[in-house]
Amino acid sequence: MQSALDPAGGDAWQLYWLTVVMTVGATLIFVLVTALLLYAVFAPPERRAWLGTRRTIVYGGLAFPIVVLSLLLPYGLIVMRDVDVPQPGALQVEVIGEQYWWRVRYPAEGEQTEFSTANELVIPIGRPITVSVTSSDVIHSFWIPNFGGKIDMIPGRINRFNFTAERPGVYRGVCAEFCGAQHARMAFDVVALEPAEFDAWRRMQAQPAREPAIPLLARGRELFRSGGCGSCHVVRGTEANGQFGPDLTHVGSRRTIGAGQFPNNIGTLAGWIANVQQIKPGAKMPSYGSLTGEDLRAMAGYLESLK
Amino acid sequence: MSGARTLQVLLALGGMIAWAVQFTIIYGVTSTLCGRGWADATIFGIGIVPLTILTTTLATLSAAAILLAVSLREDRRLRIRPASATDSFLSHAGVLINGFSLVAILWNGVPAFILPACA
Amino acid sequence: MNAPELPKSFERRETEFPNPLPRPEGELDALKKAWKAPKGLSFITAVNNTYVGLWYVGTAFLFFILAGILSLIMRVQLAVPENDLVSHNLYNQLFTMHGTVMMFLFAVPAVEAASVYLLPNMQAARDLPFPRLSAYAFWAYFVGGLVFFGTIFFGMSPDGGWFMYPPLTSTKYSPAENADWWLLGIGFIEISAIAGAIEIIVGVMKTRAVGMSLDKLPVYSWAMLVFAVMIVIGFPAIILGTLLLEMERAFDWPFFIAERGGDPLLWQHLFWFFGHPEVYIIFLPATGMVSMIVPAMAQTPLVGYRLVVLALIATGFLSFGLWVHHMFATGLPKMSLSFFSAASTAVAVPSGIQVFAWIATIASGRMKLTTPSLFVIGFLFIFTLGGLTGVMVAMAPFDWQAHDSYFVVAHLHYVLIGGMVFPLFAAIYYWVPVASKRALSERLGRWVFGLMFLGVNVTFLPMHITGLIGMPRRVYTYPVGMGWDALNLVSTIGAFMIAAGVALFLVDIARNFRFAGEDNAGNVWNASTLEWLPNGNYATRSIPSVVSRDPLWDQPNLSKDVEDGRYYLPGTATGGREALVTSPFDARPQYILQVPGPGWQPVLAAVFTAAFFLLLTVKFVFTAVICGILALGCVIWWLWETDPGPVRPPADIGGGIVVPVYVTGPMNHSWWAMIVLMVVSGMVFTCLIFSYLFLWLVNPGAWPPQDIRIPDWIWPAVSAFLYCGSAILIAVASRQLRGEDRRKPRPVPILIGVALLLVGGASAVDLWAQWQTDLSPSAHAYGAAVYAITSLQIFFVLTTLVMGIYTIARWLAGKLDTVRRTTFDNTMLFWYYTAGQGLVGLLVVHGFPRLTGGV
Repeated sequence: MQSALDPAGGDAWQLYWLTVVMTVGATLIFVLVTALLLYAVFAPPERRAWLGTRRTIVYGGLAFPIVVLSLLLPYGLIVMRDVDVPQPGALQVEVIGEQYWWRVRYPAEGEQTEFSTANELVIPIGRPITVSVTSSDVIHSFWIPNFGGKIDMIPGRINRFNFTAERPGVYRGVCAEFCGAQHARMAFDVVALEPAEFDAWRRMQAQPAREPAIPLLARGRELFRSGGCGSCHVVRGTEANGQFGPDLTHVGSRRTIGAGQFPNNIGTLAGWIANVQQIKPGAKMPSYGSLTGEDLRAMAGYLESLK
Repeated sequence: MSGARTLQVLLALGGMIAWAVQFTIIYGVTSTLCGRGWADATIFGIGIVPLTILTTTLATLSAAAILLAVSLREDRRLRIRPASATDSFLSHAGVLINGFSLVAILWNGVPAFILPACA
Repeated sequence: MNAPELPKSFERRETEFPNPLPRPEGELDALKKAWKAPKGLSFITAVNNTYVGLWYVGTAFLFFILAGILSLIMRVQLAVPENDLVSHNLYNQLFTMHGTVMMFLFAVPAVEAASVYLLPNMQAARDLPFPRLSAYAFWAYFVGGLVFFGTIFFGMSPDGGWFMYPPLTSTKYSPAENADWWLLGIGFIEISAIAGAIEIIVGVMKTRAVGMSLDKLPVYSWAMLVFAVMIVIGFPAIILGTLLLEMERAFDWPFFIAERGGDPLLWQHLFWFFGHPEVYIIFLPATGMVSMIVPAMAQTPLVGYRLVVLALIATGFLSFGLWVHHMFATGLPKMSLSFFSAASTAVAVPSGIQVFAWIATIASGRMKLTTPSLFVIGFLFIFTLGGLTGVMVAMAPFDWQAHDSYFVVAHLHYVLIGGMVFPLFAAIYYWVPVASKRALSERLGRWVFGLMFLGVNVTFLPMHITGLIGMPRRVYTYPVGMGWDALNLVSTIGAFMIAAGVALFLVDIARNFRFAGEDNAGNVWNASTLEWLPNGNYATRSIPSVVSRDPLWDQPNLSKDVEDGRYYLPGTATGGREALVTSPFDARPQYILQVPGPGWQPVLAAVFTAAFFLLLTVKFVFTAVICGILALGCVIWWLWETDPGPVRPPADIGGGIVVPVYVTGPMNHSWWAMIVLMVVSGMVFTCLIFSYLFLWLVNPGAWPPQDIRIPDWIWPAVSAFLYCGSAILIAVASRQLRGEDRRKPRPVPILIGVALLLVGGASAVDLWAQWQTDLSPSAHAYGAAVYAITSLQIFFVLTTLVMGIYTIARWLAGKLDTVRRTTFDNTMLFWYYTAGQGLVGLLVVHGFPRLTGGV
């Protein structure tokens, strides 16, 4: 589900074939060199004498690599030219690396208004995507192995990563540059949808949060408010407008929580709220272990209802 | 270290020095032009970045080729009239190093034909 | 300068020996007495390369084991997903320390240590030219390294990765002292490495067997020469990088902080400009060792000597054009990346040359399958594989996938273990008979090899796949169900196989290694090079004259004749320790170098230097400063005994060759060392100028920032005038000090004194010029860059002040005259350098912003 050997886009296929060509070539050369070495050690002296001259070095060590590499270098450069190229009409997405999660923003496009989400990149298949990345704190690196290479997220710089998804599915991306305590727990989901489904998703995400349907959820929202959660989190349509943490307006619609760590359901949400610092020590959110079980269920239920 | 010896060493290492010069110029100029957004300029219809790479490559390539020719002549001369072992070693090293540097310099020029200037 | 012209006869085959038999009574005893090692507690004051070299190798190996243990803990943690054996906090320290210790405290010191031991022996030199400098380098490393490693037990180890990328390592995200341990601890261990490199360059160029001209130099010496030059060029970048980052942490100068005009990528450029050559710095000495071992094992000369030398030199050059391949994913233009792709491709060719040279050599002889041979074969196998994956990651688009994944972990361990650890084990098994009374066990050695060879492949081969199926590096744990579980478990099992091999090796060492003075195991492999001559603490009895690259094969009876004292300098001319200095190209005898013997000074200087840096790390500034002053005092005390002058008339070393016991000028060994030091300083400065230009590039329209005024041109003009004036005065003093009559001209100290005032004034004026414009070093990267250039210059001026005063003191003590003037020469060279650096600095700081007009 997170593999460079399972390409899901055109660029990733080009990289895959480069990998295959080089692996096969390297294996052949390796077998050849090892065979020559063993031959030099074990063959009878008169049989191996031809190998023991300066000619071996000139052909094997000088001429052969120059010929092989003269072919490989242009091939590598051509692949480099052809992948990760910005396309006209590409869907623009901005991703900002944070310790230790991903802030994702879909800018306004046509009649579609802009909105933010977190730890989940939803994309349509068949349409080129340009992800602009940067960081708000330390250096992170944005890597979706199934769609191609990685690109560093560097404070003060904006880098771009271009790709096109070819088949629908759920993929996984990770942070590839060591970024501190919880670098290991900084992943995200990539959901590739049919264009129509994507448009629907996008319209839904641009809406404000839905109202609680039952009293328990309303109680959850009240706890969310009184607990001060809104000073870090946004829930659009409520008074929660903190910019520090992930946007929770539609948190219930996401597949995972904790930056790709756990499947998203009431249980994991409650566990997360109560035990962040045990589950992901060093994350910026404190544990809210003092909440009673009932309160926790109410709050988790409310968040889960934010589809 | 006498002057003649210094010259011999420079001749022997000259090709790789040419490579270093080429590398520094093409990397430095490309980074500066792209970093400052000055790369759109063209001269004779060729972009300034590929033009810099090509001219630098040609210049250093010819320098290395001349050095190779000189070391070859020197090497042949010393083979006919045996000189000190150090002299023939240095001249032979010059042939090998300058010869190899041609390849390294040439490879550095290849990207100019393939890649866009600053993307 | 005052060495006699020598007959050109050294290249003819020696038919008669330089010195007749029998040797005079007491000659050997005098030699032994001069080289006697100190006893009792003062044993640690020994400076001889055979002692320091072994301690050095032993310490490096200790760090190999310690860092290896760290990796075993990591492997256990990763054996299963979601393991909680160690916390994320400890794990991050573990991998940071594993990388840092392996690179800085094991790999570089180990190869340097081996050469401290081997180089003089291989070139039949009595010692390295600056034995006290090697002792200093060793003790600084020993004390500093152990304290640095000790931080892991207190949870204070650096935890930002061995590459220490800011902003993660800047004060904002790493407020604790962990990062400072890295910056100061490693910063000064690099200085120790540079000291060693200077020693090696001068050693290879100036202290060789008579007639060992460049074409007869052992490949190992060539490798060490290239190695040392690469350290001199490459290490200054990391020294400057650590300086800048520490200044940012300590004083808030924003070199790497994007909000204030800095750029985190600047660090990456500086780090990898050192970091990639570093890999070859480790690898080249190892190939040098292999090129010595293979001919001995195959009992035939190396095939393609000149091609191998070409490969070493070409690698040395190309390795400086690779650094951005560690930055392929940073979003630089594709064109820029491609140059590094091309160079990374090109560097594969010299490695290919070497591999085929060894194969050809093996084919032309008869390879005995001894333990060293097995390790060499294992090296070729593992290294070839690592080299091929190296070509793969050289292709930028592939690297975009592989970068920072376990594929790269696999690649780098294949090249480093294959390219350095296996040759080192081969070397230990091969050369132990030189240092020990017994060779190591062949039976155990095979087991050691078998376990390590299988272990390395079991550990790292699967990691190629682990990486390609998405596992990133530097994660303290990983989720269940990613498909990585089985592969990681296999890797962990492999790691313990390596550990078992290393443990068995330690058993072998404990059982068989017995330190030998003059009674070593001898030439057990029938090898051809000079380290296998009979030797004692004084190295060989007489300095042989060699006529080929394989003297022990081509000059029958050489061992006996050398031991009998038939060759050059069979005793001691001055009654003290001596080395024979030879010309750099043809190795003709030039003069006798009086080598300093044991002393507390280098040990104490090293301990205080280490204390200075370590106390500074924990912010005991006052105590640190006291230790710094003590260190400086010890260095001066140590230097005071050097520069002995011509203590006797030129001496006959045999064969009618009469050489002086003291020379000055460009022939002198310390002149050479000073030139190398100037190259080091010049590289630090060049990297700083590069940083300045780099920061300009990332700050369009803000160079200088809007509200900053550039000082009036009169200030730099005055400053430049003062620099030139001081240099002229020193040149005049040098003229005064000419002649063979041992005068002590009275104007010399006065000229130096006035020049001191001028040079001090020059840098004070420049500092004032910036200060009075209210330029702040912490408001913007522009100010930080300007003050960095000024501060570095002030450091050099202060050093010049100390050297100038020291030179005046030598004159006052009657230790400086027209002949005995090495001290003055060194000061003079450094002075010229300081003045030159000052002028370039002024030109950049005051000229560049005017030239670009703030663009």
